[in-house]
Amino acid sequence: MKPDELTIVVCGGGLAGSLAALALANALSPDVRIVHVSDSGEPADDFLYGSATAPDCHNFLHALGLDERTLLLESNTAFSYGTDFRQWAAPEPWMLCHHAPFPAPDGIPLRHFLTRTGAALAPLLISAQAAALGRFAHPPENPQHPLSRAEYGYQFVPDEWAELADRLAAGSRIERIREDLAGVERHGDLIRAVRTATGKSVCGDLFIDASGQNRHCLGPLSSQFRTTRRIRARVERSATPHLGPPCRMVEATASGWSATTQLQDSQLKIHIDASSDDDTAPESLPFSLGRLDEAWVGNCVGVGHAAWAVEPLTPAPMMLLQRDIERLLELVPASKNMAVERREYNRRFNNDLKHVGLFHDALYRPGSPHVGAFAPPDLANSPPEALQRKITQFENRGALVSYDLDPFNEEDWTQNHIGMGRSPRRHDRQLDAISLEQAEQTLATLRTSVEQVASRMPPHHVYLARFKAYLEKPRHA
Amino acid sequence: MAAGISRICIVGGGTAGWMSAAAISHKFKNIDLDITLIESDQIGTVGVGEATLPHIRFFNRALGIEEAPFMRATEATFKLGIEFCDWGRIGDRYIHPFGDYGLPIDNLDFHQFWLRQQQAGGTGRLDAYSYPILAAEQGRFRIPAGRNDEIGSNFGYAYQFDAGLYAAFLRQFSERMGTRRLEGKVTQAERHPDSGDILAVRLEDGSRIEADLFIDCSGFRGLLIEQELETGYDDWSEWLPCNRAVAVPCETHGEPVPYTRATARKAGWQWRIPLQHRTGNGHVYWNEYISDDEATHQLMSTLEGPALAEPKQLFFKTGRRRKFWNRNVVSIGLAAGFLEPLESTSIHLIQEGITALIELFPTDRVDPLDADEYNERMGLNFERVRDFLLLHYVATQRDDSPMWRHFRHLKLPGSLQERIEAWLTRGYVLKYEFGVFLPPSWIAVMLGQNLVPEHHDPRVGRYSIADINGMLERVRLDTEAAVAATPTQAAFLTQYGAASGSSPRAARA
Repeated sequence: MKPDELTIVVCGGGLAGSLAALALANALSPDVRIVHVSDSGEPADDFLYGSATAPDCHNFLHALGLDERTLLLESNTAFSYGTDFRQWAAPEPWMLCHHAPFPAPDGIPLRHFLTRTGAALAPLLISAQAAALGRFAHPPENPQHPLSRAEYGYQFVPDEWAELADRLAAGSRIERIREDLAGVERHGDLIRAVRTATGKSVCGDLFIDASGQNRHCLGPLSSQFRTTRRIRARVERSATPHLGPPCRMVEATASGWSATTQLQDSQLKIHIDASSDDDTAPESLPFSLGRLDEAWVGNCVGVGHAAWAVEPLTPAPMMLLQRDIERLLELVPASKNMAVERREYNRRFNNDLKHVGLFHDALYRPGSPHVGAFAPPDLANSPPEALQRKITQFENRGALVSYDLDPFNEEDWTQNHIGMGRSPRRHDRQLDAISLEQAEQTLATLRTSVEQVASRMPPHHVYLARFKAYLEKPRHA
Repeated sequence: MAAGISRICIVGGGTAGWMSAAAISHKFKNIDLDITLIESDQIGTVGVGEATLPHIRFFNRALGIEEAPFMRATEATFKLGIEFCDWGRIGDRYIHPFGDYGLPIDNLDFHQFWLRQQQAGGTGRLDAYSYPILAAEQGRFRIPAGRNDEIGSNFGYAYQFDAGLYAAFLRQFSERMGTRRLEGKVTQAERHPDSGDILAVRLEDGSRIEADLFIDCSGFRGLLIEQELETGYDDWSEWLPCNRAVAVPCETHGEPVPYTRATARKAGWQWRIPLQHRTGNGHVYWNEYISDDEATHQLMSTLEGPALAEPKQLFFKTGRRRKFWNRNVVSIGLAAGFLEPLESTSIHLIQEGITALIELFPTDRVDPLDADEYNERMGLNFERVRDFLLLHYVATQRDDSPMWRHFRHLKLPGSLQERIEAWLTRGYVLKYEFGVFLPPSWIAVMLGQNLVPEHHDPRVGRYSIADINGMLERVRLDTEAAVAATPTQAAFLTQYGAASGSSPRAARA
């Protein structure tokens, strides 16, 4: 088989299937046949892709033809500087914001200044400060401008994005079969074809399972899904008079947590109930958090919720879906013997899932005795070794332990540690060269400049309205 | 925090000792550290790493060292890569360049386009798209002038210098920054009766130097880390069995070239490092398959000019100290471990050690947690260099001597095996974030040693062969033009003010 003679069958609609099909069609030669078999609606668990993205999602979507203009004009997408945590490990709210590398006065990492002075982090970060004031503006090109350090993602609704992707796919070479999946036809350990509800048989070389927790293709292939925790989840959407702040808000509740996402015309609220088997909320969806041991089995690759399920506590679900698709594109088999591709895909899948797992796990481990309504779920008692090392080293001296290709960067981890109340026992020696007053003065100057810039930025809804008007002008059509 | 760790004692001069002294005295110049370096003129330094990697520039820059005076003082030449001769097969040669092949096209790796062209019958070499390779081959050099995503600027460079002179240069620097140098031989270490930490070292003349933290730069012996603390050593000769070397400088003839050469031999390999005033040479070998005399003879009979000294014999065992940082002793340089200088990593690993030590520098006391983190980081560094070195020995078709046959039957570490398979299948390079060698280095060695991928990344299939030919040809011409507009290294050294002006060394008649 030449790579060009491949047939790839994407199974399942919704966000994962639509983005995967579109991405494959864009990336591969027109001689590669792409068939997308999907039933009428998106998987019921699609809302758990979460409603917020990290900054690098922009380039990923852009490459698919889903540019910012389309997202803003043709869906209710809004900007996101990050997540505002309420009643989470601390009575005061704290931000997990998207930010370029933190400023390092005199070459000394910012976190050491905080240890030395006891100052708070968020007022020093332009994206956190702007989010707190409900303001937004695009970062300028000039790297000297404090706002250039702000990075942003989006607040979005998965079904709207799936629809946008479908619309693009409709004009492409993707063969769409709008039927329900009924089963698979196997040939040994491989899938030969998928069968639709009307009995149609769709043959292929590579199958992409994007059917969410139904796992229509992977299910029969005996890949083990390991459940770590069962939760219940539901979502409600309510109209708002105008767009809210450019950040999501996550709030601990008596039995779990809720996330509020700000959209152009409405607000989306996801409720996560950690007491799983409770039938008191029948309208909510049971959802098993966990992951497959291997996402690529035989000639079938699971993307999105077919392969894993994580809480939308951070932009992690969308980060993982994006990485699933990027990994897939980089490893579309070069021949029918997919052993090398499968092994490498699974290695990277493991790596990504592991890192996201550590980051979320760390959000349930308060460094100081927790206050307020936050109730940690029943996680295993001691953190995995890789996380323990991160926590120990941060608390030891503010050292950041990094692992290869972690989707969360140093800035994310610093905020995670500090937000969760982990504080270093001592600061770096280099700070001993500076008096306490000097260190405080340095931070005061930084804080003032951040405050000034943030206070001059327009409110999120005003900026977005103006920006949309600008995009709608004919020269941008 | 006036108390705490304030007395630092570096045991051993040489490259490791003076690089450590320079970096620490500079980084902590505003805090009250008392830094002493003990070295003895009677103990020679090994001076293994005369060739460096591009990272050395960041080390110098962080110290505020100006390039031209530094190059004059160390007889340095520029280095664009390493030429490997006779590695895949006898008669083969390739250059491992410091820089990319071409530029990505639509975010796809350039080499994938080249692979597709090859698989469709193309015959051009990938080297034709590498500025540093072409410039090296033609003996040309200039500093990258534009952005690193422009042809002609998409490369890095390092130096080839006299490590002894570099140590002397950094000694001056360190002494200006307040490092105190003591002449003498350490004869004894004194331990704390309870903690077991090292309290002080005694010198031959009876003087006693107390310190809170010791940096062991004493070379292979590991005076403190091993002889005193008995830390232990992980022997890696199972993978990298070469265990001896013989080194000798010789006269340089003609203009020095901007690259190092490593030529495979029947029981090891031979280096050639051209400096401004002389050329460094050495033969690294496995004594199981060649005698010392024969190894020396092989070296001396292949020098490009008359020898400038008697050949010097070195003995080593590849591996790493079980703990680089043990109690209050941090080992840096050869005291920390040894990996043969095939890819010029010796000075680089010193630099990594110093960087990690500065980031984890003790505060109020020597904290085992700091040591743990340091050991984790450095362990990864050593291991990743090891795998890359091993690649050179195993990616070979040679079977003309027992050593090469040994490598053809070696069972590889799993991570290396997977890398090679992924490359052979589709030109895919496994990536990592923390490690010195980036994908172009892996590509250079694997292709250079005849590991030819069977397929390419299917995403390249969306371009027609005609389009690919056109795109590649433009990059080739741009690269060629950029090289043609580059001066020779000798001209550039003069124009840049980096020429030492010293007369080339000549053997005594």
